[in-house]
Amino acid sequence: MPEITLQPISVMTDGGGHEGQLVLAAGHLVAVLSRVTAEETLGEREQIEGWFLEAGFGPCGPLMSVTPPVFTDLDQALAWVRTRLEAGFDPS
Amino acid sequence: MTRMTTPLILKLEQRDQLSDDEKRALDNAISRVRVVEADEDIVREGDRPNESSLLLDGFAARYKLVSNGRRQISALHVAGDFLDLHSFLLKTMDYGVLALTTCRIATVPHATLEKITDEFPHLTRMLWLNTLIDGAIHREWLTAMGRLSATAHMAHLICELYLRLKVVGRAEGDSVQLPITQAELGDTLGLSTVHVNRVLQELRKEGLIRFQGDALTILDWERLKKVGEFTPTYLSLQNEDR
Repeated sequence: MPEITLQPISVMTDGGGHEGQLVLAAGHLVAVLSRVTAEETLGEREQIEGWFLEAGFGPCGPLMSVTPPVFTDLDQALAWVRTRLEAGFDPS
Repeated sequence: MTRMTTPLILKLEQRDQLSDDEKRALDNAISRVRVVEADEDIVREGDRPNESSLLLDGFAARYKLVSNGRRQISALHVAGDFLDLHSFLLKTMDYGVLALTTCRIATVPHATLEKITDEFPHLTRMLWLNTLIDGAIHREWLTAMGRLSATAHMAHLICELYLRLKVVGRAEGDSVQLPITQAELGDTLGLSTVHVNRVLQELRKEGLIRFQGDALTILDWERLKKVGEFTPTYLSLQNEDR
């Protein structure tokens, strides 16, 4: 499993900069996460604040996976990234 | 006289006049009326119904589930829509229909539909038209889903729902009741709830729409249409001989 690292970054959503994270696997960008409030997840089965997958690449991208629900914390987001990286050719 | 089939008659008469005999035939076609609560299935995928369901009140969704548990809503139904007129000829339901709100449903036995097709050629064409419009809406949705931005797609859907509700007398000026949740809108547009939230904010911020509870008000119809690249040709709203 490649080393997964995070880099804080500001992401422009809703017309302004929001707290975000670049997710890299062995130095390659695989996901961009942004912090969303509970208000922004209104209508989810559970309305939660957390991390939203703004963009994914490779196994985490739209060619291979569907947008996952909002993650409650970064650990949960990284667990999803690991699962996608391990999945190989297994479009979900 | 208020008749039970009023929303269907309004929907059909937007497109062509119906005779009194044809309206009576529709009234007489209803065998019973039932109420289905929100989130309950009205018809299930795989069913082989021997009757079709006409929505009198409420909102319903045609949907399919995929293996990852996600749901795609492929049609939204309003009062006056036949939810599964198709099942008269297709027999096996290839999709399910779910009540999004409490729904009042009139049941029309397939045997009665067969009798209508034997005795009322013009009314038969109008019911055919009804399913053709369903098909036209699917084509329009497919195009919007594939090639419009999420914001434009939402604007397009709002324009369409507003006009469809207006035709069946469910609009008050520029406002309609739209008790559809953001999760349901997401399943309709193929968007996450975060994205649904953002595009609605965007349309609000631009002064195009306003939501107050379930009441949706269109503040700038011309701009909303422009944003959604909405042209209502596919809804066949002209009244002409058919």
